[in-house]
Amino acid sequence: MGQIAQYAINGLMSGAIYALIAVGIVSVYKATKVVNFAHGYLIMFGAYFYYTFAVIFPGMDWAPAWLASWQPGWMTEMREGLTMFSPMGAVLDWAANLPRIVFGLAGALVCNAILGRIIERVLMRPLMGQSVFAMIMVTVGLISILSGGAQLIWTADADFVPTIAPNTPLRFEMFGTMIFLFGADLVNMVIALLMFGGIVLWVRYTKGGIAIRATAEDQSTAYSMGISVPKVFSRAWVLASTTGAIAGAILATRNGISPSLGLFGFSVLAIVLMGGLDSYVGVFIAAMSVGVLEAMTQWKMGGDWAEIVPYVTVLVVLIWRPHGLFGQKEVERI
Amino acid sequence: MKLNRRSFLASSAAATAVMGTPMILRAQPSEYVVASSLPLTGPFATAGQLVSPALKMFEALVNEDGGIGGVPIRTTIEDSGYVPAKALANYQRALATEPNMVMYYGDSTGFMKLVAPELKGENATLMGSTSFASDLANPAENPYQYLPGPSYEDQVDILLQNIKDAGGTTVAFIFSNTEFGRDPIEHGRKRAEELGIKVVLEESTKPQGADIPTHVTKLAQSGAEHCILQGYVTGVWPQLIGGARQFGLPTQFHGTFWGMEKLIADRVTAEAGPFLSGYSGVMPYRYSYDSADAPAYQRYAAFQKKAFAGTPLENYMPTWGLQSLASLNLGIEALRRVANKGEEITADRAAEELAGISDFDMGGFFGGPVTMKDNKIGTGRVYTYDAETTLFTPSSDWLTV
Repeated sequence: MGQIAQYAINGLMSGAIYALIAVGIVSVYKATKVVNFAHGYLIMFGAYFYYTFAVIFPGMDWAPAWLASWQPGWMTEMREGLTMFSPMGAVLDWAANLPRIVFGLAGALVCNAILGRIIERVLMRPLMGQSVFAMIMVTVGLISILSGGAQLIWTADADFVPTIAPNTPLRFEMFGTMIFLFGADLVNMVIALLMFGGIVLWVRYTKGGIAIRATAEDQSTAYSMGISVPKVFSRAWVLASTTGAIAGAILATRNGISPSLGLFGFSVLAIVLMGGLDSYVGVFIAAMSVGVLEAMTQWKMGGDWAEIVPYVTVLVVLIWRPHGLFGQKEVERI
Repeated sequence: MKLNRRSFLASSAAATAVMGTPMILRAQPSEYVVASSLPLTGPFATAGQLVSPALKMFEALVNEDGGIGGVPIRTTIEDSGYVPAKALANYQRALATEPNMVMYYGDSTGFMKLVAPELKGENATLMGSTSFASDLANPAENPYQYLPGPSYEDQVDILLQNIKDAGGTTVAFIFSNTEFGRDPIEHGRKRAEELGIKVVLEESTKPQGADIPTHVTKLAQSGAEHCILQGYVTGVWPQLIGGARQFGLPTQFHGTFWGMEKLIADRVTAEAGPFLSGYSGVMPYRYSYDSADAPAYQRYAAFQKKAFAGTPLENYMPTWGLQSLASLNLGIEALRRVANKGEEITADRAAEELAGISDFDMGGFFGGPVTMKDNKIGTGRVYTYDAETTLFTPSSDWLTV
């Protein structure tokens, strides 16, 4: 039982990241009916922005020393004699990086929001009123632009970024088994869940959120009710970009920085389809299920199966419910 | 004119020159082409973009040495995105547009296997690559493809022998679920059994974005003393080692060629701490900073300082670049041997000369002179990383399998 708990928690941690990636795809779809195939590359840009502000800028000559590594006297004294992965050692290592982590996250959020805004304004808005298919094809083209652009700006060099949270190992007993967790992964999961919950609440209870839901129901009616649909489009893209920035930063801390980060978006597309393209709750359940299923399959059947089993499940769900777990069934009126 | 011995010899020489020159001109093109596919974009773009300048350096230095039989070479580089089908299209395009192509450099195991059936008759070309896949060292089936070092199976043999010599009794294999990752696993399992080492875990992972907590948990449960990592380039392997250290595992980690790059180890150390200390693995070649007994490395270093100033290549040649240089040097040696015999360069003649390379001094890439056996050079040495000096240093003698 303890083993099951261990792998289930591992799966939930992966699932939370999937959910954070998926929330951007759902937001854009809800507002614009466009499936954003380039979302993974938007996330990759978020990761590279985090890298720029947390690693490149602090390492430059003009940057103050405390930005690269904050080492007040008391911290240096406390650090002495502590081993690298001791709980206190890990916290102090993280604290030394805190200024650049905050700088990195702030930079990534702002820059990715601007990028999302530019994409919406320059590429998507001129296509408003045209076929949704044309807009979807633009997102496919955007993949090449973003992946090529990232390599031009940052080259294809692989690098590593500071973890967002202290990488303290956590151990506790559950059902008679010692459970082990990575502190940074646990905090990443909490961040992802808080952001996901915040967005769901925002969409449900705020004016801006209600405008997105109204636009999702019917653009023409939303227009006639005084909702600025272009503004809703813009808001959805900025929301997707900012959540993508955090997801990108988290992915970069787990996997390092490289152009392959853009590929994550594709695996999450299947999860979004399983949950229902326009359902936050459905996508959350799908993301958590796929995360847990992957971890369990990896545990019992190995990595080759772990790549297949969750996606077979997605297929089965789609055969059973073509609009996903909680997706809205569309009725075409002729 | 009075005909005597002297005037006869002079007239004969002149006549031979007049009649022979056009034939030589016809036989020798103005240049030979060494074409290549590299992953300049895609998941392994990091490696491709570092290898690409090494190819241009190679071109300059070979031409400084007189090219192939006095004919200069020209290298071409096309992007494959690490997609075998794209690399194959690049090869076919090079065949169609470069009539003087004498050698091709491929970028992956997938491409080398895909192109192998096409290397027949006029389509055959001498072909090196970035891969150490065991299947490529098979001259009976495919005499044109070769490895510039030990195959992944050989590398795992070296590691297992080293583990055995260190008194190790259990080993785990963690590998990416790609052709590259799986390549030596079955062989490694058999070899471990022969050596009396118990394989306690065989764990395949995603090549990127692997679920580190789950893999580390399984490694912890297996209780492996040693773990061999295979099929990774820039990611996953450092995270696995970091995760295991956080977990408090005493497991010793070992890698094969593609997981032995100092640039990556240094960046991990700078960002995440010195946990890679003690990580060891097989390298077929000396590292570029170990140039005292390597005149070829000294020459490269002088070129790099001038031509690559301000880039990561100014003072260091990545292992990936060294592999490409070793591969191309072996190919050029075979081509030069054909040219020196005064024969027209064909893939068959080049392959024959390549297979005959024996006790060849590579200028210090390897520990000593090397011999091509079964289209590979089964030599390597175990190196260990020290996070304090940020150097991989030798921890075994040169071993030949």
